[in-house]
Amino acid sequence: MKFDTVIIGGGLAGLTCGIKLAESGQKCAIVSSGQSALHFFSGSFDLLSYDRKGAEVAYPLEEINNLSDHHPYRRIGVNRIKELLSQVAPLLENAGLHFQGDADMNHYVINPMGKLKPTWLTIDDFSIFDPMIGIPWTKIALLNISGFLDFHTRFVASGLASSGITVQVKYFAMDSFEKIRHNPSEMRSTNIAKIFDQETVIDEFIQRVNELSEGFESVLLPAVFGLFNSTVVGKIKRGVNKPICLVPVIPPSVPGIRSQITLFKRFQALGGKYFLGDSVESGTFQEDKLLAVNTVNQGDISLVADSFVMATGGFSSLGLVASPEKIYDPVFDLDVISHDKRVDWVDKNIFNKQPFMYYGVKTDAAFHAIKAGRAIKNLYVVGSILSGANSLKEGSGAGISLLSALHVSDCIMKADSKE
Amino acid sequence: MNKNNSQEYDVIIIGGGITGAGTARDCAMRGLKVLMVERHDLATGATGRNHGLLHSGARYAVTDPESASECIKENMILRKIANHCVDETDGLFISLPEDDLDFQTQFIRSCVEAGIPAEAIDPDLARRMEPSANPNLVGAVKVPDGSVDPFRLTLANALDAKIHGAKLLTQHEVMGIIKEQDRAVGVRLLDRHTKEEKTYYSKILVNAGGIWGHHIAELAGVKVNMFPAKGSLLIFGHRVNKLVINRCRKPSNADILVPGDTISVIGTTSDRIPYDQIDNMCVTPQEVDILMSEGQKLAPSLATTRILRAYAGVRPLVAADNDPTGRNISRGIVLLDHEERDGLAGFITITGGKLMTYRLMAEWATDLVCKKLAIDQACQTAETLLPGAKKRDNFSLKNATQAIYSEAPLSLAQKAARHRHGSLSTKIKDKNEYEDSMICECEGVSVGEVNYAIEELHVNNLVDLRRRTRLGMGTCQGELCACRGAALLCAKSDNPNAVKDDLADFLQERWKGMYPVAWGETINEVEFTSWIYEGVYGLKPEKN
Amino acid sequence: MKNKKPYELFNISDNNFEQCVKCTVCTVYCPILAVDPDFPGPKQSGPDGERLRLTDPKYYDEALKLCLNCKRCEVACPHGVKIGDIIQAARIKYSKHKPTLRDTILANTDFVGTVSSAFAPIVNTAVALKPVRLAMDLTLKIDHHRIFPKYSGMKFETWYKKEAAATQDLYPHHVSYFHGCYVNYNFPQLGMDLVKIMNAIGYGVHLLEKEKCCGVALISNGLIKQATRQAKHNIAAFEQSVVDKGMPIIGTSSTCTFTIRDEYPHLLGLKNDTVRDSIELATRFIYRLLNDEKIVLKFKPDVKLKLAYHTPCHMEKLGWSIYSTELLDAIPGVDMFILDSQCCGIAGTYGFKKENYKSSQLIGKSLFDQINESDIDFVATDCETCKWQIEMSTKAKVKNPISILADALDVEATMKANGVVLKKES
Repeated sequence: MKFDTVIIGGGLAGLTCGIKLAESGQKCAIVSSGQSALHFFSGSFDLLSYDRKGAEVAYPLEEINNLSDHHPYRRIGVNRIKELLSQVAPLLENAGLHFQGDADMNHYVINPMGKLKPTWLTIDDFSIFDPMIGIPWTKIALLNISGFLDFHTRFVASGLASSGITVQVKYFAMDSFEKIRHNPSEMRSTNIAKIFDQETVIDEFIQRVNELSEGFESVLLPAVFGLFNSTVVGKIKRGVNKPICLVPVIPPSVPGIRSQITLFKRFQALGGKYFLGDSVESGTFQEDKLLAVNTVNQGDISLVADSFVMATGGFSSLGLVASPEKIYDPVFDLDVISHDKRVDWVDKNIFNKQPFMYYGVKTDAAFHAIKAGRAIKNLYVVGSILSGANSLKEGSGAGISLLSALHVSDCIMKADSKE
Repeated sequence: MNKNNSQEYDVIIIGGGITGAGTARDCAMRGLKVLMVERHDLATGATGRNHGLLHSGARYAVTDPESASECIKENMILRKIANHCVDETDGLFISLPEDDLDFQTQFIRSCVEAGIPAEAIDPDLARRMEPSANPNLVGAVKVPDGSVDPFRLTLANALDAKIHGAKLLTQHEVMGIIKEQDRAVGVRLLDRHTKEEKTYYSKILVNAGGIWGHHIAELAGVKVNMFPAKGSLLIFGHRVNKLVINRCRKPSNADILVPGDTISVIGTTSDRIPYDQIDNMCVTPQEVDILMSEGQKLAPSLATTRILRAYAGVRPLVAADNDPTGRNISRGIVLLDHEERDGLAGFITITGGKLMTYRLMAEWATDLVCKKLAIDQACQTAETLLPGAKKRDNFSLKNATQAIYSEAPLSLAQKAARHRHGSLSTKIKDKNEYEDSMICECEGVSVGEVNYAIEELHVNNLVDLRRRTRLGMGTCQGELCACRGAALLCAKSDNPNAVKDDLADFLQERWKGMYPVAWGETINEVEFTSWIYEGVYGLKPEKN
Repeated sequence: MKNKKPYELFNISDNNFEQCVKCTVCTVYCPILAVDPDFPGPKQSGPDGERLRLTDPKYYDEALKLCLNCKRCEVACPHGVKIGDIIQAARIKYSKHKPTLRDTILANTDFVGTVSSAFAPIVNTAVALKPVRLAMDLTLKIDHHRIFPKYSGMKFETWYKKEAAATQDLYPHHVSYFHGCYVNYNFPQLGMDLVKIMNAIGYGVHLLEKEKCCGVALISNGLIKQATRQAKHNIAAFEQSVVDKGMPIIGTSSTCTFTIRDEYPHLLGLKNDTVRDSIELATRFIYRLLNDEKIVLKFKPDVKLKLAYHTPCHMEKLGWSIYSTELLDAIPGVDMFILDSQCCGIAGTYGFKKENYKSSQLIGKSLFDQINESDIDFVATDCETCKWQIEMSTKAKVKNPISILADALDVEATMKANGVVLKKES
């Protein structure tokens, strides 16, 4: 099967790359072994939220200069990043995802600890706050569906209370949710969202929210609205007679899955082929080129392409695998930057910077993967599998995925036009 | 000096491990007014850091016949009084081609002499009985080994002590021993929560601090030289073997594989460590490698089984000579009457021994306490069931049929709770759908069980909650359940921010056992967990 | 130079159950969980439950029978945990539930098919009659909303022997065809369509030595011994075709094809590695020939079709819908879109059972809505039970891609373009 570009990994980086290339007329395929880390998305994309000492960053573009030379942002280059940033919002908008915020200055969102956290782009389900003003309300009603164990109201409330906000926690039950409560493990965000997706409960829900939040300036709710049905959040926001502020819950993330599906549909509508639940088993290399890949499901029918992109993610997405002896890329055994001895992979304190978070596939300056010391000239690396960043501590994960994917897409298109 | 009569006890027991809890129970059952004090939580020391093997004694039959015969007697007693803590799996001692089969003959003879039913079985039968055992085995002996949950056993003893009037103080550290002339009369305690100092008085002080008893003795001005021998173990992700598997040879590294609850444990290594290191032990990569390679000889499938955690305990052996391994020391019980030994009245030390013989140790210590207090009460701990243990009625078809048909079908969490709490599980409110909802999905811990533990089982924090319920002990090591559990603790606490810090401590405590084995799914899982708690939740190590 | 994975295995458990990192993604895509809270869900029934069942079989829950075996959890799992296999294997190992008469009847698609075909006019009329359906509902607990698929008067095998067998050896290339019960008893036309296409591209189509039902319904109804017996027979027949005669095997049903390739080794523990890679769906077989430029297809000039492709669950698991859709796309005049990939709710015999009828229709509801809102001539899909369900629940007609292709194919032009010359009969 012949494609212009085959992308391995169907998360934020892979889909961004696929959509960008398909928009420019390329025939693309994405091979994704299962669903991606977008399923755990908090609702906000971070560009750079914390500096190297862990302090909050207000102006991420300025702070990029203080990152190490090995950091993916520095390797892309600050000026290039500024160019690429202008592509982000249109790409998401055209797919049907609406985000708030911009890269010049971080805004705040409320996290499940009831604290404000700086971020770059936030999906329009959530409320964003101006860093100069903070949360503008003094009296908030915090509502939860009784029996829902993945939204921790007292954590949120105590965090907000420490900023001087009065929060009242209220639980309420509705008949429509009793059915899932019958299942001892499945009162999860997504299963609640599926009930809202049917829309029959929305009116009753709005009425209950309005009753329970009477006398409050705003109402905080868990982010459990609009899984497969993207109109639910809007309907609820319009129906409730005061500002609604959603708070992320324990995964799976309802807005995350909706984002994944929206991006997937955009890719498919552009003619992209998405091989879900399939994984690349081997590649055929010839000198410094990758000619084709074979997957578990497609067997002897190879996926042939001019360019390939590795967007397989970090450890938790199995982009990198650790055996007791070494850390490796399970797809092509590309060269990996990591420490040799396993004692050096970890820090004894879970909250310290873990060395393994910085590991990734080695690339040249043009983001070509390196295999046995040699750059593979048509195999590019994007997203969390890039080395040199601790995206958790920096708050840079989504930024690296989006920007490296856009950067590499441009490189692929330029290489394409040269040939 | 402020001697408040209401705070004066017959006996204060220092240490909330199995020895302390067992002694508290025995003393309380004999009518004494008992206070038990513990620096951390029940079973946090060596008690909770071993195989959890219900020894038949066979392991010691050749090298230490005295311990062996103590073991088999206590083994039979625990099966009766603590049946809810015990899993009667039986055990195999297998001989591999490189082992000396002659040892098997000597081994069986020694077992029989110690009173341990040991039966050589056909290698083929052994392979069928235990499919995970190394198929190259050339000989096998079946013995009545089993497994015992040390957390639940300690809890059951502590609860029974409480039922008999004892007072338990956990999170209270002994800062000093109060002496009057040549007599120990009380303790100065630091409440680790409130940071308050308190004093308590008693007629007798029992030092049941295990390896930490060395330090307690120092506080009393006497010397008990402990021999800190570190033993490391690995926990595998699921129950690999049905029977305990031992190597039929002289005790050595990593030659016991014990199935317990949902997991299997391989251990141990043995290394002498300096006394000042007993509070910050970590498992080294070399130890992990030895445990893996030796373990695979017992059960080859361990090579492809996920390792959940590594941990280490310190054997509370009393130093006798300079044996570098600590293995040739008797596991024998050491009871020191410091009045006789050092001229310090009112202070006794009970140490040595092992998890298996805790009850006997408690009996010896309590006998001495009673003698000193001139109380003539016989020990009843060998006959009286611990709370949670079920009376075993004579079997009849009618009873069995009734049991099957009278019981409504149980939910997963109810089954798991009955397994963990035995007959005490009736106290768990798990009848409605909310209470039966699962907090910990790996181990089947419900809202009802967590609330029961918080209310009735002496829980100070999330880590204690784990020991009472197995919350966070499954494969995800707290990824989904930690914050759900914290939320329930929070609901009963007036300081939500302290519970957030507690959640951070819990994650750090889980990581402590994971980082020595951080590869494969463990490193994937921890990255995912960090994304949830630090990334999405914004949890910090402290001052949340 | 091919690059293979260089490292040793570690941390690999049966069906990868220990690879689960409790991310809960599987629970999002389970069709049954959304409609039936009695099902513990793929995470709990699968990897979590497996760990507990290994501790003590008392943790086995008969509610696992509610699993549709759609494998959508496996497709979604980012860590390769074979959740569906874990659940089905647990049912085989631990279930004490005995299949009822109804389950046995539904599961034995070939026996019932044989009897029904012989009396097709009577059976068709009878099972279509309301009183009969009500009686079946009451006595057998087969839901009365269900109309049994019509039994054809002539079995495919009979047609083949009469009309096709004689000429098949004359083609230059050869394949065996696993037709399955549906083609044999209910819809021989699909088999005829396949023979038409394959012949047009120069392939003779042969039947296997006494093909038996693939057994998918036996497995899901707990009739494991019988399933194993039939599977062993089939594997021997496959080996005869592939190994002895060098003829690959093609099928037109995604479920049958999936079962004989993957469920035989995974659930029944039967080795089929000598033949597995030579068994595939006809659309994939034809696509490969097209892709390798070994054949060309010529179509009638006047085709004008609006299609919607429905991805059956086992097609999603196989990852092969691309071959069917690419083939359909290759027909000039076809305007096709792909429906959101989701379970239609029938899941083989599941939807036929009275107690499941409501859940079955709820599972498929959003699919039915999407179909009813579309302006199409046909729904195309590779699964016969999906066809029944969609035809019963929507206004749409459903066709197998092979039938659509056969209708659009200009046989003569195709034979000519491929230079197909029949050997002279000897």
